[in-house]
Amino acid sequence: MDAELKAHLDRRQAVLDRVRALIVKQTGRRLEPADIDPDAPVFVSGLGLDSVDAVELTIALEVELGLPLPNDAVAVPAMRTVNTIVDAVLALPQEPGRGA
Amino acid sequence: MALEGGLAALRQSVALAEMDHVASVRASGPAAFDLVNRVTPLELYARDGQMLHTVLLDPSAQVVADAYVCRDDESWVILAEGPTAPELCDWLRSHARAGEQVAFEDLGPSHRMFSLNGPYSWELMAAWLGTGILGLPYLGFARGDGWTCFRAGKTGEYGYDLLVPRDRASALRERLSELGKGFDLAELGLAELEQGMLEAFSFNIRREGRARATPLELQLQWRISYRKESIAAASLREQRARGARERLTFVGSPERFAIGDAVTFEGRQIGKVVNAGWSEVLGTWLGTALLEVAYAYPNVDRYRVRAAAAAAGGEHPLRTLTPPAILNRSLLVNVQVHSYRTRAENDFPPLVAGR
Repeated sequence: MDAELKAHLDRRQAVLDRVRALIVKQTGRRLEPADIDPDAPVFVSGLGLDSVDAVELTIALEVELGLPLPNDAVAVPAMRTVNTIVDAVLALPQEPGRGA
Repeated sequence: MALEGGLAALRQSVALAEMDHVASVRASGPAAFDLVNRVTPLELYARDGQMLHTVLLDPSAQVVADAYVCRDDESWVILAEGPTAPELCDWLRSHARAGEQVAFEDLGPSHRMFSLNGPYSWELMAAWLGTGILGLPYLGFARGDGWTCFRAGKTGEYGYDLLVPRDRASALRERLSELGKGFDLAELGLAELEQGMLEAFSFNIRREGRARATPLELQLQWRISYRKESIAAASLREQRARGARERLTFVGSPERFAIGDAVTFEGRQIGKVVNAGWSEVLGTWLGTALLEVAYAYPNVDRYRVRAAAAAAGGEHPLRTLTPPAILNRSLLVNVQVHSYRTRAENDFPPLVAGR
């Protein structure tokens, strides 16, 4: 694997690790972060998070990762899976862990 | 791209599918719970009328069936894709202990199953059964005059699986067709249903299930529990300790690719396609591939896919994607607010961003 691809995938893995850890912490699920499949649904099926979890997770994503989810139009597509959350974080102008 | 027929109905209104590929088996008797609990790799916490979405695994933790396990009073109904009903009964029986009293009933000879899927399937269900059905939660089921309605679905849309007595199935179908005229109801074949599942990144036992991969590699950990004691527990824990060698990854290409094709990076094979199909909604080829974990991340556009069949020829770029592929309208349709009749008044975003 060349350096460019490795850097891209390492950055992605770092955000994935943070999002998984945040889900475990916020929801109190008895899971290891690695037990969370990156492409499994976050709500209803999949991890089975509910509306209370959704509120807590939304706040935590903004506070801890700087990801604003101001309304359903933004939040619904962004919070479908762990990887959609990771995509949203990586799309931020100032992605956490990069630059300042 | 304008969708037509069953695929249009699935994504925009309501689609009706025959579910003859689903085995339905009832396990009952004094030891039914013990047996079902033993073969279910997820905590069997279900009240009457609740169902679990899991996978049945053999002792080596290979997937035997994609299953809903449903608590029906003192018995259990298993809706399974993969084995036939007789095969499922034999498999269950093989895991019963000496002296355990469990009776198995293949519901197929007496019942048929249909499925309604789509962003307005709830409204058609309410037109048929009354608004009380709207209170049925996801992974719940309700019984009526001979029918059982399971709230499920694998396409990312509202879904209802209907188990109905065989001698009344035709009449029911006619009734649904009549009511469905107001919803532009269309029929959905198995191939189209499977395409809908692929777009939703739903596990397909007839495709991904043939890859002989572990639940960890297939991203099915949410359907199992490493703490649960079951016939697969030791193997699951061993697989978890060992870690995944590969991970199922969503892929797409404007060029055709097929199951069995090799995924490469700089000339080296890093994985293999395990599901593939043309998506009308996206206007592209979609699939899933088992990639070495170091490469199994979305949004990489540097891999290539090489045809396994010499006649197919060629090597094409392949992009890894973040599933699901579609912004399902079911996520946006509010049962308390919307209606198919007034859909033109709603300004829903497109099914695919930017279209």
